Amino acid sequence: MPNSKASSITDTKYYSTLTSIALRLLWRDWNGGEIRLLFLALVMAVTSVTGIALFTDRLERALILESANMLAADRVMGSGRPLPEQIWAEAQNRNLRTAQTLSFTSMAFSDSGNMLVSAKAVSDTYPLRGEVIIADAAFTRGVPVLNGPPVGEVWLETRALPALGIEVGDSVYVGEAQLKVGKIIIAEPDRSGGSMIDNAGPRLMLSMEDVEKTNVVQVGSRVSYRYLFADDSLENLDSFEQWVSDEYDGEYRLRDVRDESQEVSDALNRAESFLLLGSLFAVLLAGIAIALTAKRYSERHFDYVAILKTFGCTSSQISYIYLTIQLVLAACSILVGCLLGWLVHVGILSLLQSVITVELPAAGYQAYVIGSLTALICLLSFALPPLLALKETPPLRVLRKDISQQTIGDSVPYLFGVGGAIFLVLWYSQDFVLTGVLVAAITGIAILLSGISFLFLQTTGSVGMKAGSAWKLAMTAARRRRKQNVLQVMVFSVTIMSLLVLTLLRTDLINDWQAQLPENTPNHFMMNISQNQVPEIESFFAANGISGNTFYPLISARVNTINGAVPDPDDDMEAEESSGTVTEGAGESSSRYEELRSSLDQTTGAAETASDAEEPEEEEQVGGRLSRRQVTWATDLPAENLITGGQWWGENSAPGYVSIEDEYASWLDIELGDTIEFEINNQTIEAEVSSFRNVRWDNMQPNFFIIFSPGTIDHLGATFISTALMENDQKLLLNDLVRLFPTVVVIEVDALIEQIQTIIAQVTSAIELISVLVLVSGALVLLSCVNATLDERFHENAILRTLGAGKKLILNSLLIEFAFIGAIAGLVATLGAEATLYYLQEEIFEQEFSFHYWVWLAGPLLGMIVIAGLGVNSTREVVSISPLNVLRRVA
Amino acid sequence: MIEVRDLVKSVKTSEGLLTILNGINLSIAEAETVAIVGASGSGKSTLLGLMAGLDGATSGDVLLDGNSLAAMDEEQRAILRGQLVGFVFQSFQLLPSLTALENVMLPIELKGESDPFGKAKLLLQRVGLDERWHHYPNQLSGGEQQRVAIARAFATQGRILFADEPTGNLDTATGSKIIDLLFSLNREFSTTLVLVTHDERLAEKCDRSISLVAGQIVSDVLNKEPAGA
Repeated sequence: MPNSKASSITDTKYYSTLTSIALRLLWRDWNGGEIRLLFLALVMAVTSVTGIALFTDRLERALILESANMLAADRVMGSGRPLPEQIWAEAQNRNLRTAQTLSFTSMAFSDSGNMLVSAKAVSDTYPLRGEVIIADAAFTRGVPVLNGPPVGEVWLETRALPALGIEVGDSVYVGEAQLKVGKIIIAEPDRSGGSMIDNAGPRLMLSMEDVEKTNVVQVGSRVSYRYLFADDSLENLDSFEQWVSDEYDGEYRLRDVRDESQEVSDALNRAESFLLLGSLFAVLLAGIAIALTAKRYSERHFDYVAILKTFGCTSSQISYIYLTIQLVLAACSILVGCLLGWLVHVGILSLLQSVITVELPAAGYQAYVIGSLTALICLLSFALPPLLALKETPPLRVLRKDISQQTIGDSVPYLFGVGGAIFLVLWYSQDFVLTGVLVAAITGIAILLSGISFLFLQTTGSVGMKAGSAWKLAMTAARRRRKQNVLQVMVFSVTIMSLLVLTLLRTDLINDWQAQLPENTPNHFMMNISQNQVPEIESFFAANGISGNTFYPLISARVNTINGAVPDPDDDMEAEESSGTVTEGAGESSSRYEELRSSLDQTTGAAETASDAEEPEEEEQVGGRLSRRQVTWATDLPAENLITGGQWWGENSAPGYVSIEDEYASWLDIELGDTIEFEINNQTIEAEVSSFRNVRWDNMQPNFFIIFSPGTIDHLGATFISTALMENDQKLLLNDLVRLFPTVVVIEVDALIEQIQTIIAQVTSAIELISVLVLVSGALVLLSCVNATLDERFHENAILRTLGAGKKLILNSLLIEFAFIGAIAGLVATLGAEATLYYLQEEIFEQEFSFHYWVWLAGPLLGMIVIAGLGVNSTREVVSISPLNVLRRVA
Repeated sequence: MIEVRDLVKSVKTSEGLLTILNGINLSIAEAETVAIVGASGSGKSTLLGLMAGLDGATSGDVLLDGNSLAAMDEEQRAILRGQLVGFVFQSFQLLPSLTALENVMLPIELKGESDPFGKAKLLLQRVGLDERWHHYPNQLSGGEQQRVAIARAFATQGRILFADEPTGNLDTATGSKIIDLLFSLNREFSTTLVLVTHDERLAEKCDRSISLVAGQIVSDVLNKEPAGA
C-alpha cells in the first residue's frame, strides 16, 4: 500500500499549498474571464437582495418617522369617549410617551366676524412625533416647534384670520373663553388625520387646559378624543398594542400609519409584494445564471481535474480546491454585492429624497446577513453541485477525451438548484401557500414550455448539414441541437417571462395608482347641500374658477325585501370580505374613515364617499332587517363605474329601476330583474334591478352601492353631495363659500391626497429601480445561457470555415438560428407571462386582469432581437480569427 | 517494478461486451525501458492507463512497486501515482491557466515537497526552457510544451514514467530531440519507462518492445540489455 498522505493532509503547510493552488487557479480563471460571469451572477444575487432588504428596512423605519406627519405619534387610538384609565396607566407603566388631543367643532367669534372652526385641544406633550410649524404672519415659512399653544393662547390656520378680521395678537372667543391669537399654524403633523370634525373648518389649536374655560364640551357633545403613543422601541409598542387588543377584545385598537389610510396601506402592501416578487425574480434569475455558468465552468475544468488526479491529487483535495475557489468567490461577491446593494438602496433613497423629509436612521445589519446568506445558498444549491461533481472526473480522461463525469447524474445539480430555489422563495415570502403556488406554477409552465419548444424544434429527420444556404444551415443546426435548444429555449423563456411579468405588472400597478388619484383629483367634499343651493354653488364655482363636479342627491334608504322575501345575506361573503380579497378598501372598517363615515352619517347624512365606502360586511342585520345606507339617483353612469350585468338606463330612462354594485348584489343574492322594496323617509318604494356595476372605491369620489333611475325617488327629498378641486391659492375662497352657504359642510381632504400622492410617487420610484435590477439579472442569464453552448457552435463553425464556408454564410446562419430560438422563447414567454400575470393580478395584487395584446407581438420580437444580438455577438469571433486558432481553442 | 497479472478490460457497448485487453501478463524490471507497440485500437493506451492506475481493470491485477492496484480505490491510486509515477502525454496536457514554471511546480506542491520553485526552475533549465518559465502553454510551440511536460514528469522524481505517444503531435526533427531529452533524463533519474508508440524507431530505442494485437501480447522482444542489468 502507498504511504497514505493522510498525515500530510492534516498538515497546515499542505493545506496552505492546496489553498495557494486554488487561489492561483481562481486568479488565472479570472484573468481568462471564465469565472467572471459566475462572479457577476453571484454579485447580482447579493446586490438585489441586500439592496431591497436595506431599502425595505429603511422604508419601514422611514414610515415610522413619516407617520409623524400623519399621526404626530407612532400609534394612535381614536375614540368618541375618554379612554379607560387602565389603558393610560398601562402605557405609562410601559414607559411609553403619551399625549392627548380633543377635537370638536365650534364657532369662533371676534369683534368683526365669526366662523365655524375645527378646534383641537392638545396636551402639553403634543406632538410626540413631527413638528408644528408656526409663524407670526400669514404665508411665511414659519418655524418648527415641538409643542402646542400655551395656556390662554390659540393658534389659527391662515385662512381663519381674514374671515374673523383679526391679526396675530388679537383675541377670539371660543365658547365662553377669550383667548389670544398667539401664532399662525403653517403645518400641523396630524392635519391629514383625524375625524371629520378635524376637517370641517380651519384649525384652531388651544391648550387642553383651556377646554374647561370654553364650556363648549358638555356631556353629549360631539367630540373626538385621540390618544397618542410613541416609543423608540417598536417591540414595546407592538407589545402594548397586543396588550390592548387582548385586554379589550378589539373594543379599543391602536392604529399606525397604515391603518390611517387605506390608499397608503394598499400602495405599500402592493409595493412590498412587488418588491418581494422583484427580489425573488432577481435571485431566481441570478440563480439560473449561477447554475449555467457554474456548469460551463465545471465542464471546462474536466481536463484540469483529470490532470491533477493523474499527478496524485485525491478527490478530497479536488473538493478542497474547488470549495476554496467557491468560498473565496462567495466572499468577494458578498463584499462587492453588499457594497453595490448599499449603493442601490442609497440610489433609491436619493430618488426619494424630495419626499422623505426626515433624517433616516441607519439600516440594521440584517439586510447584509440576508444578502450574504443568499449568496451562500445560491452557491450551495446552484453552483456547488456541478463543481463538486468535478471530483468524480476519471483520471483516464487524460488519455481519452470522450470520458466525462459519469458517477453523478446530470439531474442531480438541477435537483439541488430546484431545492435551493424553493428554499429561497419560502425564506423570502415566509408563506407556504405562495411558495406552493409559485413552485407548481413554474413547474407547470416549464413542462408546458419544454413541450411547446420541443414541438417547434421537432426534427423532420433531415440528413447532412444543409450548408448550401444560411437559412437551411441554421434550421438544421437548430434541429440537430434540439435537446440543448429545448433547455436553452426554456431558460430564455423563463427569463423573458420574468421580465415581461415584472414590466407589465409594474406598468399596470403604476397606471392603476395614477388612475386612482390623477392630478386633478377633487380635494374637497361638499355635503348637506339643498336642492336650491345646487345652481348657486355651481355659479360660485364658475365665477371663481373652481373645477366642480357632479352633484349627487343623497337619501337614506333601507332594503326591506327582495322579491317579497326578507334578505338573507350570504355569511360566506362576510368571511371572504374580512380576508380583504374581494374589494378595495376591505379591512378599513376600523380606519379613520370609519370615524369620518360615522360622523358624516350621523351629523350630515352624507354619502358613501370613496374614502368612507362601506363594505357589505359592515351592513348589519338589525332585527332581521338591513341597516340604512345612503343612496342616490343619476341619469349618467358615474365615472369609473363599469356595468358588469344588465344595462344602464340612458337619457330616456323610465322610473322604477335600480342599479346595484356587483359585490353587494352578490352578497344579497340579487339577480337582474329582481324587485327590491326599499323604505325611504317612511315610504315604501319598489324598483326593478336593471344593472350591476363594478365600482372603484379608492378613487376619492362619491361612490354608491345603490343608484335609482331618475324619477323613482326624486320626490322623497334629498340633500346633495359634490366634490371640487381647489388649488392652494383658492383655499381662502372656502371662507366665502361657508359664509354664503352656512349649512353646507366642507371637508378638506387636500392634505390627505397630497400625502397619498407623495407616498405613491415614492413607491413608484422604488419599483422602477427594482425593475432595473431584475432586468440586469435577466440579461446575465441570457448571456450565460448563450455562452453555455458556445463551445459546440464554435467548433462546428470553425470546421465549416475550414471546409470553405464564407463569413457571411456563417454569420447569417448564426443570426437566423439564434433569432429562431429567440422568437420561440419570446412566444412561449408571452404565453407564460400572461398566465402568471392572470394569477398575480387576480390573487395577489387584487387588480383586474386584461390581455396585453401588444405583448404577443413584442414578446417574440424582443426574444428574437435580444437573443440574436447576444448570440451573434458572443460567437462572431468564430469568423474574425483564423479557423486554426478556433480549432486549437476548442480542442 | 511493474507486474501485470491476467489483466482483462471489457466495456459495455450498444452491441454487447467489448473486450479491449484479454489476459495480459508481463513484468517490467526497475529502470527498464519498455515500448508498447501496436495498431490503433490494439489496446496499448488502455494497457498504459491500467498500469498507471488511471483506470480500474475488469479482472486481473497490476502491481506497482509491490502495491496491488486492484486492492485500491481511486483515492489510494491517486496517492500512489503522486508518489511513484510521472506522465508524458501525446497532447502534452499542460494546464493552460498556469505558466510553464507553475505547471512543473504543481506535482511538487501536490506531493508536499519543499522548494517547488527552485526544483521546477532547475528542471526547466535542464530541458532548455529556463528563459521561458513565465510563458503560458499557448505561448509555447508544441516541442516546447512537450519539454515542459517532460520537466513536470520528472519533477517529483517518481520511479516510473509512463509516456503515451510522446512524439505523436510533433514533427520528426522536434520529436527526435524530445525523445533524446526523455531518454537522457530517464537515464539520469534511473526511471522505469513505459512508452506507448506507433513509431518503430522509437520503440527500438527501448530495452524491450511488446506488441499488442486485439488486446493480446503477440510478441515481447528484447532490443538490448537493460541499462541496469
